[in-house]
Amino acid sequence: MSAWLLAAWYDLRDLSGISREITEWVASWGPEWLASAVSGAIGAIAILAVIGPTLMILIWTERKVIARLQVRYGPNRVGPRGLLQPVADAVKLILKEELVPRAADKWLFFLPPVLVFIPALLVWGVLPFGPHMQVADLNVGVLFLLAVSGTNVLAVFIAGWASNNKYALFGAMRVIAMTISYEIAMVLALLTVVFLTGTMSINGIVLWQQQEDLILIVLLPMTALTFLLGATAELNRTPMDIAEAESEIVAGYHTEYSGMRFGLFYAVELANTLVMSAFMATFFLGGWWLWGLDAWVPSWIILLAKTSLVYFVFIWLRGTLPRLRIDQLMAFCWKLLVPAGLLFVAIAAVEHTLLSEYAWDRTIALPVMAVINAAVTVAVIGAYARATGAGAHRASAGPRMARGRLGGLRAARQLAQAPSGGD
Amino acid sequence: MTIGLEHFLVLGALLFGVGLYVALAKRNAIGVLMGVELMLNAVNLTLVAFGRFVESEVALSTSVFVVFIIAVAAAEIAVGLALAMVVYRNRDTINVDRVNLLKW
Amino acid sequence: MDGVGHHLAFWSLAVITVGAALGILVSRNLIHAMVMLILSFIGVAGLYLLLSAEFIAVVQILVYVGAISVLMLFAILLTPRAARDNAETAMRYPGLILMGLVIAATVFVALETDWGAVREEPVTESARIIGQSLINEFVLPFEIAAVLLTAALVGAVALARRDDEDIDAHEQSLTLEGREDSGGSS
Repeated sequence: MSAWLLAAWYDLRDLSGISREITEWVASWGPEWLASAVSGAIGAIAILAVIGPTLMILIWTERKVIARLQVRYGPNRVGPRGLLQPVADAVKLILKEELVPRAADKWLFFLPPVLVFIPALLVWGVLPFGPHMQVADLNVGVLFLLAVSGTNVLAVFIAGWASNNKYALFGAMRVIAMTISYEIAMVLALLTVVFLTGTMSINGIVLWQQQEDLILIVLLPMTALTFLLGATAELNRTPMDIAEAESEIVAGYHTEYSGMRFGLFYAVELANTLVMSAFMATFFLGGWWLWGLDAWVPSWIILLAKTSLVYFVFIWLRGTLPRLRIDQLMAFCWKLLVPAGLLFVAIAAVEHTLLSEYAWDRTIALPVMAVINAAVTVAVIGAYARATGAGAHRASAGPRMARGRLGGLRAARQLAQAPSGGD
Repeated sequence: MTIGLEHFLVLGALLFGVGLYVALAKRNAIGVLMGVELMLNAVNLTLVAFGRFVESEVALSTSVFVVFIIAVAAAEIAVGLALAMVVYRNRDTINVDRVNLLKW
Repeated sequence: MDGVGHHLAFWSLAVITVGAALGILVSRNLIHAMVMLILSFIGVAGLYLLLSAEFIAVVQILVYVGAISVLMLFAILLTPRAARDNAETAMRYPGLILMGLVIAATVFVALETDWGAVREEPVTESARIIGQSLINEFVLPFEIAAVLLTAALVGAVALARRDDEDIDAHEQSLTLEGREDSGGSS
């Protein structure tokens, strides 16, 4: 790397240098409170600068990837390959008329779009983009993430209530029941991670992974799965999107919201998906650390790559799986995720004690723990599958569908040419 | 004037008083429970203020007390609301003035 | 705790919290009163942050705003519409007098007492210290609190559950046909 890139404040690998320079410059001539206010403001502006353009790209990405998964092209009219589609969406939402139902509670009707935006922005503050690149390194960061995500429930309820619409209220109730159940599963998953790493600070968890040279998904597969599924439920995405099940309850809690108010709900859902992907990447895939690569490549680019990977998994789940019914959702949470989560909390506590009290050799102890955890994961999932009769239909399976080796559009053309669809 | 212990104590007293009035004067049983929650919050605030400003040998024992108060408040609200729903189911009212069968 | 930041934070949070508490008094609608209560919870959480009790602040948001508020909103939903007008009982004037007396007495005691040793620096890492206290000195109350929460959970579910005969009676009262034919199904 050439010397000018590794110099002080414009080192791309540590963007906090810029913030430090500006803060010190302000502190040199102004009062101290102005300097801390400026550093806070820089953090806030940085977050908005990250979310804004990314949302635009995400709208396009999501629709294109889902379309390709469903063997169609996706938006390709507006701009080259549909790249201006987000602009078209934004313009449409801004120009739409905002209807307020006459019997709706006026004060409470205005509140939910604002109320749902606040947690979406707040959680970005505890996400570490690099070893010193965080808006706030709270030492209760994990708990802050859980607490702030939990306030989404309130916004949903007030939205459903204030619409004065039975379908909105039903939708809101279903969403709240699902959200608080999966929130418990997520709390248990993150508690497992906190027990194993011994710290509640999110940067501390990444540093633990760096110190042990291991990403947590290898060590805690069931926990990663639980977090992924809990996040899917919190974000109201398919397969758990009973909130926006258009075929069932119109549009759930945001039925009566139109125009930019609905645009806010939509934007917040995308921003929440992005931040949950980023947190999944941080907790379980190592975050900004990648086995020493962050000395060369800026750590926020590494985090971006991992976040994109997890985001793709979210879109993949959405495009592939059918929607679950509310009783199936609740059964899945309370009968698999919560008991497995409790089991893994106990296992993680035991493993952490063994690692810290007895100081065993890490290169033997960690693979052994990984194997034991993987075995318990497979056992738990297998037991649940057998108990709910998941594999029972295989004995009576009919002829298998044609499988094009390359999938997608080519498979569709193959099916069209060979209508008998043999094996 | 530095923000000191007295500021937080006065604030806690104000909140406690308002919570007391809400708990005494509301006609809806759930309104009464709102007042109770406000009183508990005021007490928690006072305790945390003491933990911050006054030296003690067991560090942050007041914060531990606050954690327990929050847990007990959650339990009490759950049971209180369940009782309110049962009263509504049996008496068809949730007005605390009407639930007076045991009045002498 | 000097400095512009502290003063700004304290006074704005105090105004929000007490204002929201007074809003519970004057709201004409029970749901509005509930939203005011949630606002006062958030204000108190901000005050905890000002007192460097970040663990308690986050627990306050997690438990009060995230769970207890939702529970109370659900309960308001399941109770009659007619009672949602947040009216007051006959005890309101005695209540006002009592409120004034309690506030006056407490403020007098708070301002006149010498509270002893004053700690200037806040305790950092409150989460770790609280956790260790809970496991070392206060382990018995911790376990008893766990039993209490389980008992409250089971009790609330047992209270709010409808038995089969209640469900039948409820369904019959909802439909007119249930009253006319005898022996409806289930």
